[in-house]
Amino acid sequence: MTQTGKNRSLRMSARAMRWQDATRWMGTTLLLGVASLSVLAVLFIFYFIAREAIPFFLARGFREFFTSTAWYPSAHPPQFGVLAILAGSALVTVGAVTVAVPLGIAAAICLSDLLPFSVRQGVKPVIELLAAIPSVAYGFFALVVLAPLLQERGGALFRGFVWGIGIPLGALAVVMGSGLMAARLPPAWRKRGSVGIGFLLAMAIGWFLRALAARAGGIRVDSGTNALNASLILGIMALPTVVSVSEDALQAAGREIREGSYALGATRSETLLRVVLPAAGSGIAAAVILGVMRAVGETMVVWMASGNAAQIPRPWYNLLQPVRTLTATIAGDMGEADHVTGSERYAVLFAMALVLLVFSFLCNLAGEWAVRRSRRRMSGE
Amino acid sequence: MRAYYSTRHVLDRAFSGLGYGSVALMALALVALLGPIIGKGLGAYWFRGTVEFRLFVLERFHRGNAKKIGIEHREAMRAREPFWAVLRAFEAEMESDSALRRRVGKDYHRFQSHIRELLGPIPGDSPPLLMRQQYGQTRWDRALVKRHQALHIEEWDYGDGTGMGVRVWKPRRLLYAGTALEPAFDLLENHLEAMLRPRWTWYGRFLTDESFDAHFFGGIWAEMLGTLCLTVFAMLVATPIGVLSAIYLSEYAPEGKLIHLLRLFINTLAGVPSIVFGLFGMAFFIHALNVTPSKSVLAGSFTLALLVLPTLIRASEEAIRAVPQAYREAAFSLGASRWHTVATILLPAALPGILTGTVISLGRAAGETAPIIFTAAVSMGEPLRWGRLLTAPTPALPWNLYNLCTEHAAVDEIRHVQFGMALTLVALVLLLNMAGIFLRARVSRQLKV
Repeated sequence: MTQTGKNRSLRMSARAMRWQDATRWMGTTLLLGVASLSVLAVLFIFYFIAREAIPFFLARGFREFFTSTAWYPSAHPPQFGVLAILAGSALVTVGAVTVAVPLGIAAAICLSDLLPFSVRQGVKPVIELLAAIPSVAYGFFALVVLAPLLQERGGALFRGFVWGIGIPLGALAVVMGSGLMAARLPPAWRKRGSVGIGFLLAMAIGWFLRALAARAGGIRVDSGTNALNASLILGIMALPTVVSVSEDALQAAGREIREGSYALGATRSETLLRVVLPAAGSGIAAAVILGVMRAVGETMVVWMASGNAAQIPRPWYNLLQPVRTLTATIAGDMGEADHVTGSERYAVLFAMALVLLVFSFLCNLAGEWAVRRSRRRMSGE
Repeated sequence: MRAYYSTRHVLDRAFSGLGYGSVALMALALVALLGPIIGKGLGAYWFRGTVEFRLFVLERFHRGNAKKIGIEHREAMRAREPFWAVLRAFEAEMESDSALRRRVGKDYHRFQSHIRELLGPIPGDSPPLLMRQQYGQTRWDRALVKRHQALHIEEWDYGDGTGMGVRVWKPRRLLYAGTALEPAFDLLENHLEAMLRPRWTWYGRFLTDESFDAHFFGGIWAEMLGTLCLTVFAMLVATPIGVLSAIYLSEYAPEGKLIHLLRLFINTLAGVPSIVFGLFGMAFFIHALNVTPSKSVLAGSFTLALLVLPTLIRASEEAIRAVPQAYREAAFSLGASRWHTVATILLPAALPGILTGTVISLGRAAGETAPIIFTAAVSMGEPLRWGRLLTAPTPALPWNLYNLCTEHAAVDEIRHVQFGMALTLVALVLLLNMAGIFLRARVSRQLKV
């Protein structure tokens, strides 16, 4: 605003205003342009993946890809049956979710409702660090530390796991079972009755655990790199995502419904399980979806830890056999297929990438929907 | 009293216990993961180096006191003299006794090769080609493993009938009982320290030394430099885009369909599996745009930039939104335009928060492997040179960690390098993240008006 001319007023001349409008419009458009680079990137990713994948599907059809387990990409003629690899991805993901979701939700509840504020401030950065550790370091751990341990001391490890999980759960079952059953006895007998029933229950559960531990201890792991190893590590990797997203959801459920529940005489666990968790349900669903996405899309851990055998385990839930996943196949086979750009062997990897991409996109939409639903419910219908 | 013991309350307690237990389990997982990586990783930096290590450092890097090392080396050579004498005596005995030669000739060859790995070339050998054959073991822990192999014969026992053999170590001296070689085993067992002179060594230059002979010797400089270049260039590309996008989203975009759409795409970008980024980077930057004819730092950086873009946008947007509304109103009331407000008021106030996002994204980019497999990383290669900083492919920490522990010809021999690399990578990423967390804690204190 330089002062030129005698006749100046606070009003700008029409020209200056036009100029200002024009620059503002240009600036905004420029910013919009930069912001749409992400949109462009997503469209380009879809386009460049589909450009190789769709001709592959057109040439060979969907049937072989999705229903055959014969994966012989370098044979003559090649066979591109991806079913076993899809099953491997699914198996490892289900395993990871089994580890991450219960543990993650329990930890999120603990963080949001049980721990004092000061401790929570300390735990949250630790979770962020867990999320920040590079996946190749997790994979290195799985391959160099966990795999030999599983292979050499697998039985002892499983036995320890059965006892470690079984004793707390068993003790809980004994206390609860004896309390519940004793409540049906006539009042005079209750005290002695609960002790007796508890003793019997403890015996039964102890015997069951011993049998189970003996069985687990007898398991022999032929190869340390298998679906179990990959699932465990993937589960730990997905844990921070699940914890932080579901903790946000629990926090967002608000103080009022908790206080309302306490006012009705509910204990903390009843409040959390019957009031807070249902209220935060869709947020937690979003957490699970994000965890699944993390597990499906992860490359290095499964490449290093899953054993990379394109087979469906027999029986299908046998996690101790090696499997092969979509991501690991892309990472491992591109090195050999790269110099034959344009061949079917090269295109099939893009077809797999398209499957991954579509899956994660659908997950994203579902997650978005869940989050929006929870937000709508929180703000009061 | 009765209410206290009621099942409801037991359940309540148990439920709390479950929560605490799961947090404890997570902490345990972190410790179990980081424990071996830190513990064994430090072994790459801090270990008992032998005289061979000091000799190698002197000859290849011209570091260390030449005179002192010379004296030490001569003393070690003198200590080995009796051992070589025993070998010569045994060879003479074999010359004359053909039955002995037939019996142990093959195994003696194996023994000799173990000795070469342990102590370096045997006097009288022709000068070896590979560097790993020119020096003995540089680390005492590896030397002990090699000694064990020299002292024992490895056999497999298939006795238990499962087809899975059990490894048995049989003392080698039993095979040579009564021959001239017998004293050699005692010498190895009791005088190896004099022959190799191990001493605790701090090898901080592991980080900045080039590697020799497929990582048998030296450090990880090529990988370090590659990772640094990749991440720094990725952030140079991504930060301006990320911050400008965040400014648009938080200050300019009209509420409505457009912003929903933008957010949907940003979330989609965040959800794209990292390996798909790798494929896309190869198909787009290398094959379609042809930024470089084959893998290069440039293509890798662009791919990594795309990968961290959503994180960066979200962090910056959060930082800008966290600036109190009063700042904006004050600026507008003084007649500042919107852009003027953004540039002089909001960005400086949000800078630490944006920096936090940048630092954390830097860590993410440094640790990602899958996107650079097809776009930038090579397993063996020279460190980047100035003139070809952007156009050459490069080794990088995460990729080479994978490569060394799966595809290297002698995986077990260089475990310490792998662990050292893992430690370096994890430390790099965690330090960046801690810096980010620390910054954020300071910011949130400052912005509380």
